[in-house]
Amino acid sequence: MKWAWLLVLAAAGPAVAGTGHAPKRKSAQTLRYHAVVPGHRDPAASLDQQLLPQEPLADKVKTPDEGFSIYWPGIAFSLVLLAGMIWAWQFGVRGAPLVLALLAILCAYLSLGGRRYFHLLGNQQGYEPVQPIAFSHAIHAGKLKISCFYCHYGARSSDVAGVPAVSVCMNCHNVVKGMAGSKEPSAEIAKLLHFWDARATPEAATIPWVRVHHLPDFAHFSHRVHIANGIQCQECHGPIQKMDRVRQAASLSMGWCIQCHRLRPGQAPTHWKRVGGPTDCAACHW
Amino acid sequence: MPLVSETGEKIMEDDAAKAGADDKADGLTRRDFLEFLGASFAALSMAGCKLRTPVEKILPYVRQPEDAVAGKALWFASTCGGCSSACGVLVKSRDGRPIKLEGNPDHPLSRGGLCARGQATILDLYDSERLRQPLIGGGEASWATVDAEVRRRLRSAKSVRILGRTSTSPSLDAAIERMARRYPSLRRVVYDPISSWAIAEAHRRTHGRAVVPHYRFDEARAIVGFDADFLGAWLFPVEFIRGWSKGRRPDQPQGGMSWHAQFEPRLSVTGANADLRAGLLPSQEFSAVAALGRLVASHTGWTGPLPAVEGACGVDQGTLERTAGALSKAGRNALVVSGSNDPAVQILVNWINAMLGAYGRTIDIERPSRQAQGDDSAVSELLAQMGRGAVDVLIVLDANPVYDLGRAEEFKEGLKKVGLSVALADRLDETASLCRIAAPLSHSLEAFGDSRPVSGVYSLQQPTIAPLFDSRPALEAVLRWSGDRSSGHDFIKGFWRRKVYPHVHGAHGFEAFWRDSLQKGVVLADEPRMPAAHFSARAVSSLKPARKPAAAGAFELAAYASVALADGRQANNPWLQELSDPVTRASWGNYVCLAPEDAKRMGVEEGRVLRLSDGARSAELPAYVQLGQTPGVAAVAFGYGRTGAGKVAANYPTVKLFPIEKDLLAGANIRPFVASGAVTLAATDRTSPLSKVQIYDFETDPLLGQKRNIVQETTESAYRLDPHSGNPPPKKEEELWPRHKYPGHKWGMAIDLNSCSGCSACVIACQVENNVPVVGKAEVRKGRDMSWIRIDRYYSGAPGQPQASPQVAFQPMLCQHCDNAPCETVCPVLATVHSSEGLNMQVYNRCVGTRYCENNCPYKVRRFNWFDYAHQDLVQNLALNPDVTVRQRGVMEKCNFCVQRIYSGKFQAREDDRVLKDGDITPACAQSCPAQAIVFGDMNDPDSRVAKVARRSRSYRVLAELGVGPSVFYQTKVRNDSEKA
Repeated sequence: MKWAWLLVLAAAGPAVAGTGHAPKRKSAQTLRYHAVVPGHRDPAASLDQQLLPQEPLADKVKTPDEGFSIYWPGIAFSLVLLAGMIWAWQFGVRGAPLVLALLAILCAYLSLGGRRYFHLLGNQQGYEPVQPIAFSHAIHAGKLKISCFYCHYGARSSDVAGVPAVSVCMNCHNVVKGMAGSKEPSAEIAKLLHFWDARATPEAATIPWVRVHHLPDFAHFSHRVHIANGIQCQECHGPIQKMDRVRQAASLSMGWCIQCHRLRPGQAPTHWKRVGGPTDCAACHW
Repeated sequence: MPLVSETGEKIMEDDAAKAGADDKADGLTRRDFLEFLGASFAALSMAGCKLRTPVEKILPYVRQPEDAVAGKALWFASTCGGCSSACGVLVKSRDGRPIKLEGNPDHPLSRGGLCARGQATILDLYDSERLRQPLIGGGEASWATVDAEVRRRLRSAKSVRILGRTSTSPSLDAAIERMARRYPSLRRVVYDPISSWAIAEAHRRTHGRAVVPHYRFDEARAIVGFDADFLGAWLFPVEFIRGWSKGRRPDQPQGGMSWHAQFEPRLSVTGANADLRAGLLPSQEFSAVAALGRLVASHTGWTGPLPAVEGACGVDQGTLERTAGALSKAGRNALVVSGSNDPAVQILVNWINAMLGAYGRTIDIERPSRQAQGDDSAVSELLAQMGRGAVDVLIVLDANPVYDLGRAEEFKEGLKKVGLSVALADRLDETASLCRIAAPLSHSLEAFGDSRPVSGVYSLQQPTIAPLFDSRPALEAVLRWSGDRSSGHDFIKGFWRRKVYPHVHGAHGFEAFWRDSLQKGVVLADEPRMPAAHFSARAVSSLKPARKPAAAGAFELAAYASVALADGRQANNPWLQELSDPVTRASWGNYVCLAPEDAKRMGVEEGRVLRLSDGARSAELPAYVQLGQTPGVAAVAFGYGRTGAGKVAANYPTVKLFPIEKDLLAGANIRPFVASGAVTLAATDRTSPLSKVQIYDFETDPLLGQKRNIVQETTESAYRLDPHSGNPPPKKEEELWPRHKYPGHKWGMAIDLNSCSGCSACVIACQVENNVPVVGKAEVRKGRDMSWIRIDRYYSGAPGQPQASPQVAFQPMLCQHCDNAPCETVCPVLATVHSSEGLNMQVYNRCVGTRYCENNCPYKVRRFNWFDYAHQDLVQNLALNPDVTVRQRGVMEKCNFCVQRIYSGKFQAREDDRVLKDGDITPACAQSCPAQAIVFGDMNDPDSRVAKVARRSRSYRVLAELGVGPSVFYQTKVRNDSEKA
């Protein structure tokens, strides 16, 4: 009788909670790039098509984080461990409940994403997702020394730095089709050309870059004011000119932001035009 | 209470034993139960929080649009399509989506103001109940099929009619004229849902020219209104408010204040702002104007014929003499207006204005208005033809006559006899659903267009988004049907090249002129003036009023256009439905306003459902007891009771859970009752409570019995003697806490109660800017309305005291950003804290929803999210401002002085490497205000506009005696009593 109850509860728990676990992000922030762009859409496309995020060309581009997920098996196993813990407790096996409880927690932690995704503290430091095109900042920014603002031109005038349009890439890649000295066309540039060539077709899609740096919607960060104050890109983004794949270098936690905002004269780097920043809540949260 | 006797202990032991036995019997001990609870809780909590951040995609443009930078707004000058006023607007576009409208400061008429309805048009664009594709006979069709069908029928038609509301677009006029050349049987019929035909008709008879004049309230020193709600919804409210407010600034050295008298059956926003107000019955308006005219005639030495005063005029002689005296004193700078649609009344009004010499100064008929072109006689003719079955093709162009034409029944009958009926409409409304072809009309933000609200003022409208649905602007539909394949843009450009460009001075080259005009949005053309016309006195004699007094026991109906919905074309707009009326403070649905005397006589209280009947038809509406209303008048607003507008107009929420919500009525259409002019009222046994946001109407404290320092007021004569009159120095403020230091900026606001007309533009502006949700009628009734800024309305005097004409004051109330804010000290989680710039901040991500702050706020400006109000409608979501967090359930929110704009202004200054200057930052409310009553800025800068206003003698702070140190400085209201002297 007792165990029947436990099983029902254990099954009902995830089932009930599972309905709510999908992240609900309905704010306009997430819609930012889904704007209806005059001239860049099929006029006959229905509104629903326009409103929904455009799906990438699935067969052409493999996006990361799709594939086998250990999420549900992991959860199930941790529940089994939990049940074992209670069982052991009932029969008075000394020490076992503690071991089983620790195992259950560890199992749950790993199945929920482990360190890479463990978001309890909002910390995604080290996040380095695979991108649909293996664009290398080490080549473009490091080796070729292209200014950051050539592509991320929004950083100086807008709150968001922005990801360049395919047409910006094509400014160079109209000509550059492969690595210097190599006659072989690059497979990665070919992916780019695919998006560019499909631009006029009804199934036109754009590059589904995976977002690396992600602030929650209630925190407002402005690139332009930080750039205007002379702060270097690398001070937040790390040695981006050395990264083949972009990695989140800083934790981007509030404590990390505040470190700099709290600096006093003499403590700040000399190239900053202003020392410290506002520490009001309303400076970022509105 | 536990028993302490021996027997008591025994009883308790017994109970415990019995309880244990019961547990055993169920096979479940308490211990087991707790174990299950713990285990299931652990399982729930582990599965419930999927602790991984969602993988988000960044989707860049493929081709970079010109000037588009992610996260940065682009602004386009355009023209508002809300009504025929055609105010100049600036459209804020973020990432290809228009998200806000603001007044265009360069527009010569609206001058930066934009009314509540105009601002709300942005949500009409994103209305998911718009018509999405053409329909023929109810079935989906393509535009090509529609075009083919319409042109086939047009070719064979013997009589074609286009019925539309007033359109101020000269290009559309030209296109219809061209169509008429192709189909010679085509006639255009223009009507206005709220007709001003009598004004044009009166001018035809007195000045030989059927025009609606351009009224210049900015020139007027004495204004008399007869039921003309020019600060509410009459003709061109934005321009009128701006002009009127120019005469409401006693601090200005030259001129002093203008004087304003209003005679009206119900208490309108305009009447509430008048210096002198008297009630009358609608049937008495003629005699009142005639009596006033005779007095003015004696002042001005008029020698022509005099009109007869028919019956009692309802206004006492002393009041009329005061008014006539003030008008004569102002002479050419006087202005008399009437909202009546009776030509006899309008002829008398013209006569008074002509005697005073107002034509040429405050009334311009040489460059008349083009706004109200409706012709009631042409509509009658059309209805007769339709009834005879003499109309082959009827095109209803952006109009809804089945709802808003007085003789809708006749129209519906006639429509059945029309060969082919075509409706161009934004939704499948009452008319479109009865027409054979219903074709979707583009929103004004989706199409090119132009407008000429007043002769010589041309403005352009440009699209800021590709059409969301398969729709077409009216202009292009007309062009297609007349066989022209050019786009709307090309046609308008060609029209401007031929008709506008030649009249503009200083333009060199059309292309440059065109680009410049698109950029600025408005052009002043030096069109030839119409020749001067003189008043012909013959029209004055032998006039008879159209309106008869109601029979005994019946009420005279005063149907009016409300500030929120006006003629009801935007009835499906939730922002406007929830906008509480400035005078009655009720929202969501209309009601019958009754005088307190009548209500008492009938034994009717507020919310009692009344059956309104004119003999032929009846409607049910809740009662509202309105102070200041003339006894014998039933006042009902137009615009409600729409059946074809959508589910918002039909009432909200559509799923009604509780019995109390089922009682809430959505309102009724009053239009069919207007013709008879008199209605009978019968109380039913049901009630339908109104959703009011202000339940207490008086400034008098109910406990202390004395007036509190909330709205301060004085009279003009007292103000001239003592600039501090009405504004006694506040008592010493007791402060509990040490003062904050504001080393940098200290934001503050000043609001002039004298120029605020209560138009509510700021309320909608705030709602648009700050993603303020709509909660619905049932929630508003529970006091859960969410607006961050509201306009409180107070009556002078005390409750229960009979007043024929109470004095009214409007007060915009928003978070006062107190220096010692009571809300801050009670928050247990520090979610509301003080900033170094004097802002009282609300940190949503920290708030846990204790609502202590709301309880401790003396101004009642904090709002709690009882539910997740964010729109579930994906289309409406597009109107959200991405700069502002969408709040979730359980979070407190309130005005934050548009902190996103403050920081945006500061960031811009830093980007430009300069110091922030006064005027860089304007909150949404201050920007939209047609009266420019709100000033915002840095109080630490002694030269800033707000600091200067705050130092004025009229400046005071609400409830400053509490020692909270508010940062909003109100300016004492000054009522002009100078005509007494």
